[in-house]
Amino acid sequence: MLFTLFKKDMTLFLKDKKAVLLTFILPILLITLFAFAFGGTGKKKSNPRTYTVLVTDLDQSDSSKETIKQLENLKGLTLINKNLQKGKDLVKKGERLALLVFEKGFSEGIKKTHFFKTTLYFDASREIETRMIYSFLMQHLSQNQGKEILKNRVNSFVSNTFSGMPPKMKQNIINTISSENNASPIQIEMQSVMKEKSTKENIGLIQAVVGTAIMMLLFSIANIGGSLLDEKENGTLKRLLYAPFKTTEILFGKMLTALSISIAQLVVMFIFSWLAFGLNIFKDVPALLLMILCTAFAVAGFGIFLVSFVKTRQQLNGFSSLIILTMSAIGGSMIPLFIMPEFMQKMAVVSLNYWGIQGFYDIFWRELSIIEIAPRMLVLLGIGLVMTLISIPLFKKNIISL
Amino acid sequence: MIKVDQLTKSFGKIKAVNGISFNINKGEIYGLLGPNGAGKSTTINMLSSLFKPDSGTIHLNNTDLFSETNSCKKIIGIVPQEISLYDELSAEENLFFFGKIYGIPTKKLKNKIHDLLEFIGLSGRKKDAIKTYSGGMKRRINIAAALLHEPKILFLDEPTVGVDPQSRNRIFEIVERLKSEGLTIIYTTHYMEEVERLCDRIAIIDEGKIVGQGTLEELKKMIGEKEIVELDFATSDKEKIEELKTILPFEAEITNNKLAIKCDKNKDLKEVLNLVSKLNLSIADIDFVAPNLERVFLHLTGKELRD
Ligand SMILES: Nc1ncnc2c1ncn2[C@@H]1O[C@H](COP(=O)(O)OP(=O)(O)OP(=O)(O)O)[C@@H](O)[C@H]1O
Ligand SMILES: [Mg+2]
Repeated sequence: MLFTLFKKDMTLFLKDKKAVLLTFILPILLITLFAFAFGGTGKKKSNPRTYTVLVTDLDQSDSSKETIKQLENLKGLTLINKNLQKGKDLVKKGERLALLVFEKGFSEGIKKTHFFKTTLYFDASREIETRMIYSFLMQHLSQNQGKEILKNRVNSFVSNTFSGMPPKMKQNIINTISSENNASPIQIEMQSVMKEKSTKENIGLIQAVVGTAIMMLLFSIANIGGSLLDEKENGTLKRLLYAPFKTTEILFGKMLTALSISIAQLVVMFIFSWLAFGLNIFKDVPALLLMILCTAFAVAGFGIFLVSFVKTRQQLNGFSSLIILTMSAIGGSMIPLFIMPEFMQKMAVVSLNYWGIQGFYDIFWRELSIIEIAPRMLVLLGIGLVMTLISIPLFKKNIISL
Repeated sequence: MIKVDQLTKSFGKIKAVNGISFNINKGEIYGLLGPNGAGKSTTINMLSSLFKPDSGTIHLNNTDLFSETNSCKKIIGIVPQEISLYDELSAEENLFFFGKIYGIPTKKLKNKIHDLLEFIGLSGRKKDAIKTYSGGMKRRINIAAALLHEPKILFLDEPTVGVDPQSRNRIFEIVERLKSEGLTIIYTTHYMEEVERLCDRIAIIDEGKIVGQGTLEELKKMIGEKEIVELDFATSDKEKIEELKTILPFEAEITNNKLAIKCDKNKDLKEVLNLVSKLNLSIADIDFVAPNLERVFLHLTGKELRD
């Protein structure tokens, strides 16, 4: 029975050119628009933005000074010297993004343990920007300091193993090795609050794709739910009620349709983002598929909830636009959450968008494992389930009563 | 086959159906004749289990409708008053879907659809979307959609509304054939000709109540077997017409400046005309009406069937 209802709904959906357009073409256009707006056009990065970071040198050694000089020469990074207390204050107040501190013992650290003794203080409400800075710093420090560390390593190795080697010969070996460009990768750890990033996916792109996809998903699913009201208005719902089966099956039939179309829409959006903007959707395929499924379920539940809540198509149109736009605004679909003030970020949890967007961020940006993303998935499943359960009595009350 | 007892249903203050009872035998066509808002559709909706009555019982084929809804649903076919089809789907797709929701196996259903489309004369258009159909064609598909699961009982709620005379005739033929196949049918309408042509028994329904029921002959007997002589006076002198009515030795009814007199036009007309001239009334028009349902309706409810 469910399958019969589902097949009919899908046939109707595919015949409704407007619905198909709303579901697939419009989101693609919007994603494209936002992707450019957020400078998120994948691999072909346009001018990277410039970050200003405070710096404090507590070590005052040659290598710390050298490192700071190298960083100052980098494009996209402006360093301002500040003392530790002042710097921390500025970051705390949110006036500056981050403070990079070269701790005492930095040069010793490089020589002996091959560690950078540095600390990055950052503004918690601008976590994602800080992550960007972090990976930016990591990349350049490891490139520039790699040679220095290698030199030190070779030096100590040669001195320890061939203690009788003439100094001139030793110097020759060291120079030859360290002048080579392909300095072997050196493991560096940084005293920092964050885990190292392996790849640097463009955050603007992720935001554009995920934020837009979820908002548009809500719209197209509200429309699918609305077809239930159309059935009421054109009388076909009556015929469904004449037939010998449970009335709730009508609701679950719609749910199944909404779920399938949601999944299809999200899959198409991600494939498009991959083809057009190079979003790496193969980072963690199982996690991505699970996330798509959970998001689709939550949205489908939301869709049937909306439609059970109202009585006419007009009511639905007005009501759904209001709810979806509000949720999208506070949930980070329109404006990325990381540029919102902290209290807004906290408020975002009430929206469905938030959980979906953050879940996809976890996959593409934070690169968490399925286990780590699971709580968000469970929240989404919970939203879907609760919405469905609330819908059943409402559906009987509002829709079935002719 | 159908047994309805003391059915009532209110919507807020409106008593849409107010104590309706009837019995319908197997193979009968039973007509529900009534004006707009009489409660016909509400009755059909209760018979289809869409509405729960406020009180009263419905038995279909000796089974209580509301305690064994699903088994009853399988034996009834319902043609709703509104065309209830998916506009975007073709006739064939519509019928396939509405057959499937009754759980008919695909192969059997396809044969049934083929036969039904032949039967209603729309085989040639089966692939076209419903929205391209004329009103009469839609009506026929609307009927076919109720027949897919081969019901024993059929409810037709004003199946000819908004249909041209030719399509109407086709629908009559369809109903007659269904009767000959043994279906028990309830047919609602506000057209007298339809119940006169199709129905074995008729209930006249007004303001939620059955005001008279029986065969056409029985109903006509309610207003006497005599013809009616209808006099249309040139004057609107109500008092004089009233006076005439009282001195006439026949039953009579006044509407506007018309007087409808129950008498034998061959035997009694002379007497009537004598009395008219005695009162100095001048006649503008004179009509002889055989007893018909319109008269019956007027007699029973005091109002015209069509407003
Ligand atoms: N769902 C409803 N809610 C409120 N009132 C209703 C509802 N359905 C019917 N009514 C009222 O009940 C009365 C009977 O309506 P019903 O539709 O049964 O009449 P009908 O005989 O089918 O008339 P028509 O010839 O116009 O179809 C009307 O006064 C109508 O306004
Ligand atoms: Mg009606």
